[in-house]
Amino acid sequence: MKLYDILDLISIGFKADRFKTLMSSLGIIIGVMAIVVMLSVGEGIYSGVSSQFSTLDLDIIHVIPGRFSFGGPPARSPEEPAKFTDKDTKLLENIPGVKNVAPQTSAGVIVSFRDKNASATLIGIDPEKEHDLKSKISQGRFLTESDHTSIVIGSGVANGLFRMKISPGNRVRVYYEDGHMDFRVVGVLREEESSGIRAGNINTQMYVTHKAMKELLGRENYYYGTFQVTVDDPESVDEVVDRIKLDLERYHKDEAYDATTARDMLSSLMSILSMIKYALAGIGAISLVVGGIGIANVMMLTVKERVREIGVMKALGATTRDIRLQYLLEAGLLGVVSSIIGIALGIAVSFAIGSLAGLPSAIKIQSMLIGMLFGALSTIVAGVYPANRAAMLDPIEALRSE
Amino acid sequence: MISLSDIRKTYITGDAELPVLKGINLSIESGDFLALMGPSGSGKSTLMNIIGCLDRPTAGTYMLLDRDISKASEEELAMIRRDRIGFIFQAFNLIGRISVLKNVELPMMLKGLPRDERKSRALKLLESVGVSHRADFSPQNISGGERQRVAIARALANNPEIIIADEPTGNLDLKSTEEVMEILSGLNREGRTIIMVTHNPEITKYCNRVIRMRDGRILDQSSVEQS
Ligand SMILES: Nc1ncnc2c1ncn2[C@@H]1O[C@H](COP(=O)(O)OP(=O)(O)O)[C@@H](O)[C@H]1O
Ligand SMILES: [Mg+2]
Repeated sequence: MKLYDILDLISIGFKADRFKTLMSSLGIIIGVMAIVVMLSVGEGIYSGVSSQFSTLDLDIIHVIPGRFSFGGPPARSPEEPAKFTDKDTKLLENIPGVKNVAPQTSAGVIVSFRDKNASATLIGIDPEKEHDLKSKISQGRFLTESDHTSIVIGSGVANGLFRMKISPGNRVRVYYEDGHMDFRVVGVLREEESSGIRAGNINTQMYVTHKAMKELLGRENYYYGTFQVTVDDPESVDEVVDRIKLDLERYHKDEAYDATTARDMLSSLMSILSMIKYALAGIGAISLVVGGIGIANVMMLTVKERVREIGVMKALGATTRDIRLQYLLEAGLLGVVSSIIGIALGIAVSFAIGSLAGLPSAIKIQSMLIGMLFGALSTIVAGVYPANRAAMLDPIEALRSE
Repeated sequence: MISLSDIRKTYITGDAELPVLKGINLSIESGDFLALMGPSGSGKSTLMNIIGCLDRPTAGTYMLLDRDISKASEEELAMIRRDRIGFIFQAFNLIGRISVLKNVELPMMLKGLPRDERKSRALKLLESVGVSHRADFSPQNISGGERQRVAIARALANNPEIIIADEPTGNLDLKSTEEVMEILSGLNREGRTIIMVTHNPEITKYCNRVIRMRDGRILDQSSVEQS
């Protein structure tokens, strides 16, 4: 029997049984779709993150109280988080290879401008240590050591938070818990590309001196939330991290603290990404298995329905091979068509995820081929048993059946 | 042409053995139109299936066209069925989900004939049995008499020398029976060998031989002189 004749017969069956055909292919369609989405989104995130890798500040170490955790649940430790003070600033500054130590303390606050309120992040800083921030001033000036009622705001706070733009010279009121303080805006930072790696979005942050921060928080004991340590040589960053961890032990023996680099954060992020990728792969694999079982089921039903037809085909001279080929091809064709539909849906979903969730997605020809391969493979595997059952039918029994 | 010697067929169902054919000796000459009669369950269909190479005897020798069929492989049997034998069944056994024309094309598809050749031959065959106007119909939408004529066209697709017809008129009314028998008779006159099971003594008038079976054995053979 010629291939196109078999395909002709098969397509007649598909057309006659559209609904059954669609239902049996649903699992494969979903499976292939999941695979294409997984590969596309995975690839997109991966390349997005890798491109950020080159722009990361490789010479910066973050020192934080508590244990560093990224993604998963916050690491809980029996120890109290470390209480960082100027003693620690000094200690860090004295470590060889350290260029700059910038202590920061942040808090969620309500900012009020012309009787309208909005929430923002306020960060207490040491103006002398924030060379990077200072260079990002676009209007006005940066803070000085002696500023007590001055505030510098990110471009998002200036332009996006309130209906009216905030400019240097404007006054804002900042509420924290029961207290509040009035500040005069002295500077606005320029808009920064938001980066997924950095904690927080610089555009929605506001900066005051530690002195002002301490007063606003109204705490007896004021501690630093993080240190941003800059090293002389990015190559030596890991050694400095080790040294920091070791030296801090002196003041914080029973307290929790941690020091990490952007590279560490990146690798944690990467491991989360690969987890997501595997989860998606798992969904794809499961739905392919389920889809395969679905196809096998429907094929078994089809073979049962067509027992008599198969008997007739044999009486007319069809060989075992003819019948087996017919039903394998039927499953395979179902797989190919479902895979094509799955790929098309996968591309659509990838685009949707890309534009809705802001995740980058990259659709590669490999992703489609892999989807196709797995889709077709699982249907053919699913088709083997029913096709064999059909091929091995005894024509006498088949013709006697009702 | 066909020679059966001491053919036996025993079905095994569970532990029980059911002997259905108990030593059949029969030879059929080229050009014979043979009627096989006998009560239900006497083994007529079983014998037809063996002659038609759909089934194998449990014991005995079956020579068809000078070949020992007992020794042929599955593949060879399928080829013989495809090229040398045409089947006609009581229940027509047309495939309902494809058109009448495609049904007739099927044996030629199995043989690998090119599309155009196959289609024109199928149409010619349908015309020769008077149902070419039903070519594009589904077999489910035509009458019983028409179905059997389509089945005859299909049996003739690969121009076989032997036609096996198991109660071909069993489901037909008088008029259709007559039509179908006229067609078969014509095929016989063309030189085809026909072996037909029937319960209807009326239609044995078309045959040159009648064989009666009972309980897996051949009772008697009578030759009808053809005028
Ligand atoms: N495949 C089979 N398995 C078991 N028994 C069968 C099978 N085919 C036929 N038989 C039995 O063999 C006997 C003869 O059947 P069959 O050849 O169809 O008789 P007929 O065609 O003369 O009515 C019956 O009793 C039937 O039940
Ligand atoms: Mg019978």
